[in-house]
Amino acid sequence: MKRYDLIIVGAGPAGLSAAAEASKRGMSVAVFDENAKPGGQLFKQIHKFFGSKKHKAKMRGYRIGEQLLSEVKGIADVELNSPVIGIYPGREVVVRQGDGIVHYCADSIIVATGASENAVPFEGWTLPGVMGAGAAQTMMNLHGVKPGENILMLGSGNVGLVVAFQLLQAGCNVKALVDAAPRIGGYGVHAAKIARCGVPFYLSHTVAKAEGTSCVTGAVIKRVDEHFRPIAGTEKHFDVDTICLAVGLSPMSQLLMMAGCDMEDNPKRGGQVPVCGEYGETSAPGIFAAGDVSGIEEASSAMIEGRMAGICAAAYLGFCTESEKWTALCPLKDDLNDLRQGMFAPKSHGKSLETTDEGILLSGTLLKKGHITSEEAERFPGVVHEAGVHPVIECTQNIPCNPCQDVCPKHCITVGSNITALPEVDKSANCIGCGMCVASCPGQAIFLLNENCAPGFATVTLPYEFLPLPQKGRKGKALDRAGKPVCSAEVVGVKASPAFDHTAILTIKVPSEMAMDARFFKEEGA
Amino acid sequence: MIRANDRSADIGPFIAADDDDVIICRCEEVTKGEIRKAVHSGMYTLAEVRRYLRCGMGLCQGQTCGRLVKGIIAHELGAKPSQLEPATGRAPMRPTEMRILGSEKR
Amino acid sequence: MKNTADVIIIGSGIIGCASAYYLAKKGVSVIVLEADDSIGNGGSSRNGGGVRQSGRDPRELPLAMWGISHIWPTLSDELGTDVEYTQKGNLRLGKTEKDLKVLQNLTDHAVACGLDVRMINGKEVREINPYLSDEVTGASWCPTDGHANPLTTTLGYFKKARELGAHFITGEPVLKIKKEKGSARLAVTPDGVFEGDRILAAAGYETRLLTSKLGADVPMRGKKIECLVTEAEPPMFQQMLGTAEADFYGHQTKHGSFIFGGSTGLELFGQPDGGGAPMSTSIGAACTCRGIMKYFPALSNAKIIRTWAGWTDPSADGIPVIGQADGVHGLYIACGFTGHGFGIGPAAAYSIAEMMTGGKAPVDMSPFRCTRFKAKI
Repeated sequence: MKRYDLIIVGAGPAGLSAAAEASKRGMSVAVFDENAKPGGQLFKQIHKFFGSKKHKAKMRGYRIGEQLLSEVKGIADVELNSPVIGIYPGREVVVRQGDGIVHYCADSIIVATGASENAVPFEGWTLPGVMGAGAAQTMMNLHGVKPGENILMLGSGNVGLVVAFQLLQAGCNVKALVDAAPRIGGYGVHAAKIARCGVPFYLSHTVAKAEGTSCVTGAVIKRVDEHFRPIAGTEKHFDVDTICLAVGLSPMSQLLMMAGCDMEDNPKRGGQVPVCGEYGETSAPGIFAAGDVSGIEEASSAMIEGRMAGICAAAYLGFCTESEKWTALCPLKDDLNDLRQGMFAPKSHGKSLETTDEGILLSGTLLKKGHITSEEAERFPGVVHEAGVHPVIECTQNIPCNPCQDVCPKHCITVGSNITALPEVDKSANCIGCGMCVASCPGQAIFLLNENCAPGFATVTLPYEFLPLPQKGRKGKALDRAGKPVCSAEVVGVKASPAFDHTAILTIKVPSEMAMDARFFKEEGA
Repeated sequence: MIRANDRSADIGPFIAADDDDVIICRCEEVTKGEIRKAVHSGMYTLAEVRRYLRCGMGLCQGQTCGRLVKGIIAHELGAKPSQLEPATGRAPMRPTEMRILGSEKR
Repeated sequence: MKNTADVIIIGSGIIGCASAYYLAKKGVSVIVLEADDSIGNGGSSRNGGGVRQSGRDPRELPLAMWGISHIWPTLSDELGTDVEYTQKGNLRLGKTEKDLKVLQNLTDHAVACGLDVRMINGKEVREINPYLSDEVTGASWCPTDGHANPLTTTLGYFKKARELGAHFITGEPVLKIKKEKGSARLAVTPDGVFEGDRILAAAGYETRLLTSKLGADVPMRGKKIECLVTEAEPPMFQQMLGTAEADFYGHQTKHGSFIFGGSTGLELFGQPDGGGAPMSTSIGAACTCRGIMKYFPALSNAKIIRTWAGWTDPSADGIPVIGQADGVHGLYIACGFTGHGFGIGPAAAYSIAEMMTGGKAPVDMSPFRCTRFKAKI
């Protein structure tokens, strides 16, 4: 039986982060993952992450995954195609490898197996074409396969919103985004990205039926009342071949239960989770949990939890002293805490906030329709009007995020030490129109406006992450935040740069009175 | 956990509902109505319902339907899902061919 | 919740549930007390589902045969639950001369009891079941054996007994049985006392923890054994299978999946469980798979989807104790089924229900009396 100081189950963000911390303290570490590629959910996350620099803000998920992998290369045994089929007494771990099973034994185990998608049953939900949003994401982002042509997305949390945008990027037609809740659950900026492409939101609606006999050919949604009961006579029909379900995740904690950990069904953590200390210690000696398996959050928090569990496993076995452990844990605890702030923090769940921390009235339209109105925009400190080119930041909810502040060479943008604060534009600073803020904002919520570039005309510079890139000189329509064509527009600038990391910026010329409405571009004939 | 469970307690009669024929366990094709009827036949735990109807015994071992079944049973009992027993997961965590499971390598 | 009845039953496995049913059918009021949170969560929901006569200790044969001729064929209709009873015979396989001798011996004893069982050679075996490998040189063949679904059978008895008015309470461990005025009448639980004119202790191994305190011990030990199940396969065969070497036993279910049990030989020496539900070892399933593949190369690619373990209660002489506790008025015992209690369970339950209500068991029950255990000299 091969022995390790630490066996980690799952080579996702939590597992690899744990491997990094444990290995560098001298532990022999094996990481077993059932997939052919490491990185768990990270490699599917093609969007830019939020947070601050230490949280890898503005880096795309897969790049973070690559970084983590290189951190453990050569110092931990990362074994792929190696599903752990059971954890037995004495911390024996049985792994399927090749054409047999192998028995391993470890002095400590970290289970970081993540979570799986929740199902929601409705008539026809077992037809081919109904899939989890995560499955659609895997198909597109890992395998380059379009899940379908015409999609209905159920669920307005971040997963639903982010995947809906990625479906658009893959060339699919997202016909509707539906949620039984009365308010959009995910970040407003994620919703805004798809609203400006014309995706309609149907809050307080649920999917009543998937139509078709051998596969999905259509979907019917219905309005629901305040008790989430469908209301007869409110049916709306969509011609779709795919219905994506993004209705939450449940931890895949079966191994922890098998290993003898005390478990609890905790709705706040997403379901059945191990009873766990702050740093991942379970009730079973030497067994830890990190990442979504111990409570659904996101990749950024999973990475920090993984590091903390790795450090604790090291201390548990004397690979570092208690004092070294606390020295390492404290800053990580602060980092994790910084992420758990703001409007979407776990502690704010269930609360219906009316204003931002700054006391500004939140946009009601954003929560219902996925976009703010131009009137609402004026309330926010990122929305200013100046002569010449200047940023207009339509970031209207408190989310821990600050790349805009760090990226501006002229220090036009301030978030401050509290990274959930809304960004402010300093009117006295001199914007040079470089576009770094536009490209770097993970929420694609920053625009450059030049409100009187020529008599009667304004330019709007917007982030553009679609192919093909429109060329300079092309004509078309400017769309407003709701995706409605509002005026003619001409492309006067297209800029792509390695520093922009695959977010091109597009500058369109529109009538001046449209400067605060034009937020997306559709080429004519496209 | 609901303790000291009197299986003759009055949880009300089984009342047919419009969505009784929606499949809940895809692997074994068990419907919502079957699950609800089992509860009204005295089966109050996930284990009992699973053993009687096979929901959760298919290839995915309840990964897809487990949460749904728990919610349905809890609803019929007038309880919260978190009050029911946890679903048991067992080895092998992924379906494994006999020739592979039987081949123990060093 | 009412806590008096004509009969208090301790344990809701196949014995407890079926006894409750047969008693309720006779108009007897019953309360069943189950320590676990689920009905039948012990051996009754974990066994391999064999309903067999062959391969049994001859003392069990009359009861087993009576059950197969009188209860099993109509049980699904009687309970309104599909118990999946399939009577397509039992092949107990042998590979070596030694195996065949063991099987012959068992067969001879069984024939003497009137069972239709005979030895057949390898060629005849493969005519019955073409999937068996050439390594099989012979088998005992009992055409009236078969298998059923222990989960739906136990729950089917529960469901019907409950419909007939039997009261089941789970999460209610009996801490002790108390006598009152010379008769065992009281079952004491953390929630209070349940009282009956008679008490049936049918709690597997745990029975002795209760009955020994009244001077009615049953010499048993606990032995944990393991099972596994495959995904559904196309129908291959319907016989029940076992081997002389006991390296595996099992059958293909109505659903198409194969259920097999086996043994590593280390069962009596396993690590003590930390309490709670019994867990499989890390080597049990692998061993059983190898055992199966030697006989069934065709199943090599069948996927195992679950493994589990369960406690059996081997008695000192390998057959159960069924009947009134010696000298303890009002106390009845049914336990020690030694890992082959499912097939004989309904008949045993029927018999104990008769014995408890002044009726007559269908066969001579004296082989199962609790007073039979004696020192060797």
